[in-house]
Amino acid sequence: MIINDVVCPFCGCLCDDLELEVEGDRILRVQNGCSLSEATFMNDTRLPAPIRRTASGWEEIPYADAIKETADILRDSDRPLLYGWSSTHGETQSVGVHIAERIGAVIDNTSTVCHGPSILAIQEVGHPGCTLGQVKNRADVIIYWGCNPIEAHPRHMSRYTTFATGFFVPDAQRERTIIVVDTRRNDSGGIADEFVQIEPGGDYAVLSALRAIVRGKESIIPKKVAGIAKEQLIRIAGICTNAKFGAIFFGLGLTMSRGKYKNVRNAIELTDELNRHTKFVISPMRGHGNVYGSNEVFTWMTGYPFAVDFARGIAFYNPGETTAVDILRRGECDAALIVASDPGAHFPRAAAEHLAKIPTVLIDPHVNATTALSRIQIPCTAAGIDAAGTAYRMDGVPIRLRKVIDRGYPDDAEILKKIYDRLNGELGP
Amino acid sequence: MGFSLIWYLKEFGRTAWIKKFLFAKTAPLTTPSYFRGFPEPTGRICQHALFCMMACPAPGAIEVVHVGKGWMPRIHKGHCIRCGLCVEACPHGVLKSGRILETMEREGTSLVFSFRVVIDPVLCTGCGNCCTSCPVNKVADAQMGAGGHSSNDEVIMKVQAGDVVVIHEEKCTGCKTCEGACPTNAIRIARILEGTQQTVHEGPP
Repeated sequence: MIINDVVCPFCGCLCDDLELEVEGDRILRVQNGCSLSEATFMNDTRLPAPIRRTASGWEEIPYADAIKETADILRDSDRPLLYGWSSTHGETQSVGVHIAERIGAVIDNTSTVCHGPSILAIQEVGHPGCTLGQVKNRADVIIYWGCNPIEAHPRHMSRYTTFATGFFVPDAQRERTIIVVDTRRNDSGGIADEFVQIEPGGDYAVLSALRAIVRGKESIIPKKVAGIAKEQLIRIAGICTNAKFGAIFFGLGLTMSRGKYKNVRNAIELTDELNRHTKFVISPMRGHGNVYGSNEVFTWMTGYPFAVDFARGIAFYNPGETTAVDILRRGECDAALIVASDPGAHFPRAAAEHLAKIPTVLIDPHVNATTALSRIQIPCTAAGIDAAGTAYRMDGVPIRLRKVIDRGYPDDAEILKKIYDRLNGELGP
Repeated sequence: MGFSLIWYLKEFGRTAWIKKFLFAKTAPLTTPSYFRGFPEPTGRICQHALFCMMACPAPGAIEVVHVGKGWMPRIHKGHCIRCGLCVEACPHGVLKSGRILETMEREGTSLVFSFRVVIDPVLCTGCGNCCTSCPVNKVADAQMGAGGHSSNDEVIMKVQAGDVVVIHEEKCTGCKTCEGACPTNAIRIARILEGTQQTVHEGPP
């Protein structure tokens, strides 16, 4: 059977034009998807049943036992951490927030180690953004700053920016100017009209220099700024101010290098400056399929986008204190529930070490690096493959993930709901 | 003494030598009668196949430029070596030079371009940049040009199972736009120029 318009749940692009050939509970072929998408659907090797760590290895346990034990761990914990949420749908994230509120936990999502700084900057100066459809149909200047879409979001250029024919950009190939800014010449830089090689940690200075040039103060710029010649900076500022519609996309090269959220703030203020001359927008390149959704769900339920601490009975947000990495590094939490993510592969060593010390439960369809740090792992559906739900694209557009096959696994929202009901029953109203 | 200043002054200060040096006359450059001239337009309409540019062995000798509403090849005489390959390669007979067109017609010869599209599946990330940027794909499938979503099988190539798959190689025009759009150099276009000859019936048909 051929299913059209399937949404790929892997990265923040959430391409919704895939064509899948399925037979029973198997996916046979993926059309239109990139190699990451293909691997997401085709190499979907799941853990067959819940597992619990024993003295010598692992043992399989029934779902009911795994759910009971997880609820016990969370109930007995003084400062639990609920982390992850970005590779599943909004319905699961919502149950997660309810659990956090019920047991006074800290709930955090993966943006804490990726675009958290972007959110801090947006909270300070706002977000002059737009949907990717607007970029596709209008933008004639595209800037990729500190990101490599070819590796991380392979279809971003062909679907939304560089090569896609737009309503006001009919000859995309000729009419669009692509600028790539990075510390090294990456694959995306290879096909850019203008590649800007920046010295590591020099983003803030370069953004400030561009702001000054756009303001007409180019005389105060030194001959070189973070390894970039003044002439090139003036040329780039010229391209930007002469654009009909410009779009800046930035990645972790900006948010996680020296300066962090100040870099993003400066980039947003450059966008603001450019808007005095033309129309310019800026957007983060969100990584996980539904990381934007976790920010949305957390925000509408708690008021804060990530790192929400319910220990006081009310939502408290203080990045640097209530963020997952800081809580783990300080050895503060005494139990962890990880859902739909892999902190074992991405967290600093000290944080991962603490995860291994405390009772950690992982709810994820696949065996990953966090499995090695966990006490229990409960396999579940993968959102967008065998579970339907809402996800948010990197530009904030909600897209319904589709269920294309049934592999007989329980939905992670269901598992969490059972844990929540059990906690409610035991802890009382 | 061969190296003294006075010797040099004496040698090169001679009136005869200075006259010869400054006012020497060489015969004007003329094109021998047996040389072929530069390619000239025949008056037929250029269809922008660009085969002349692809066949030309001299860098920068020929380019197809906008003339009015249409296109026309422009010869840069300083670079042209008058080999006549552009005349032979043009499928629409836009150019002529010497007896090339007559000879081709008489002997039934022609130069034919064909193109091979080769994808390296190891390097290909399935990003779809080549499929979306391809001008032939853009015409064959507007959905493809507008964002890499394939809605029919009339395109040259499309993304299947995470890699680009070539469907209609024969539609390729050899423009190499895809090569420029590929970030990993996974796609390569080979331009193949072959000489062919048809049997010509001599005498009246």
